Amino acid sequence: MVDQQLKIELGKQGVLVTTIEELYNWGRRSSIWPMQFGLACCAIEMIATTMARYDLARFGAEVFRPSPRQADLMIISGTVTKKMAPQVVRLYNQMAEPRYVIAMGACAISGGPFKQGYNVLKGIDRYIPVDVHIPGCPPRPEALIQAFMTLQKKIDAQPLTGEGRPRHLDAAAQGEFPVPEQGEHDLEPTSNKGVWPVPVVIR
Amino acid sequence: MLGEGILKGMAETARNFAGSFVSKERLTTVEYPEERIPTFENARVFPFLVYDTNDWEAGLRCVACQICEKECPPKCIYIDKSKDKKPDYAGKQQFYPTRFDIDISVCMSCQICVEVCPFEAIKMDTEFELATGDRFGGLLLDRKQLAKSNEYYHRIHPTEAAEVDVRLAEEKAKANAKAKAAADAAAAKAAAAKPAPHVEGAGD
Repeated sequence: MVDQQLKIELGKQGVLVTTIEELYNWGRRSSIWPMQFGLACCAIEMIATTMARYDLARFGAEVFRPSPRQADLMIISGTVTKKMAPQVVRLYNQMAEPRYVIAMGACAISGGPFKQGYNVLKGIDRYIPVDVHIPGCPPRPEALIQAFMTLQKKIDAQPLTGEGRPRHLDAAAQGEFPVPEQGEHDLEPTSNKGVWPVPVVIR
Repeated sequence: MLGEGILKGMAETARNFAGSFVSKERLTTVEYPEERIPTFENARVFPFLVYDTNDWEAGLRCVACQICEKECPPKCIYIDKSKDKKPDYAGKQQFYPTRFDIDISVCMSCQICVEVCPFEAIKMDTEFELATGDRFGGLLLDRKQLAKSNEYYHRIHPTEAAEVDVRLAEEKAKANAKAKAAADAAAAKAAAAKPAPHVEGAGD
């Protein structure tokens, strides 16, 4: 392991020192392809983020893939209704590892203004693991870019072996998540076990 | 002619592409983390609590009247009112919030809490870089995280903050005059054995 100071010093001399882990993670974080799929009004901000003014292409994420098979990142941009939730989980299941999820906006995180309604899912993290949450209604394009950078930092910090390694290198990691079905009154199950730990409220 | 619109659009794109080599104005991209678009004065993201003086806890303008909690359409504000009273920034005995949480994972930035607040205690912030991986810890802001100084408010919304300051100063002057009149009336009452004549604006 080369220490950071020596690496910078060598870099000035024109010598590049790296580890396989760093190179691998650099490649992964610089080519995150999001899935082209918008659910509600936050999708308008997502579209704006990819346009010339904000230009998500600067982060290596301009290729919005219309197929989940070719995408690495799912941006849940908007209200997830209970009718749409099974499709969202199914699309997530169809994505290849390593895959990441950004919950964009109040509705995707918690149901937002509709959280007391009957027809909106109170947060997509009940069914699939979410990596980054962006609060806002809707978040600014800059906020989405900042969330994207947060995700890149997270990918950069992942070790390739041992605890906390990416899921595609972990044979024991859960690959497929149960798709909820429309029950008599609500989606069944109401949340996936292991994904949604019921929070402990400490007063 | 069929496709005329497309050609016009492509011509505009080509003009911008070629022009961007000579004119900086044609470069539309704002390279966000390094440079950013200046925010408009009325931009708003999430609410924050204003405090005066240097102590965030003692200087909070909020008196825990809970109007914002009741008015909030998505119900994202949680307030616990104190049992005791303490002097607010103007020296008046007031209740204060022992808990003031805003769940920004629910907040829809509608500004209704700001409009209904009679004490100018809650205002809209312009901070938007709040993305986090921590669903519960990172998205529930407590009163310490929400408390921002009046100077900060002046920095982000100068015009609005100046108006608020004038209004608060007027109210404070009015309250002081009333207190002074009441004190004078009490003094006159004590001095004379018989009840003092009614003083304008005294009592109530």
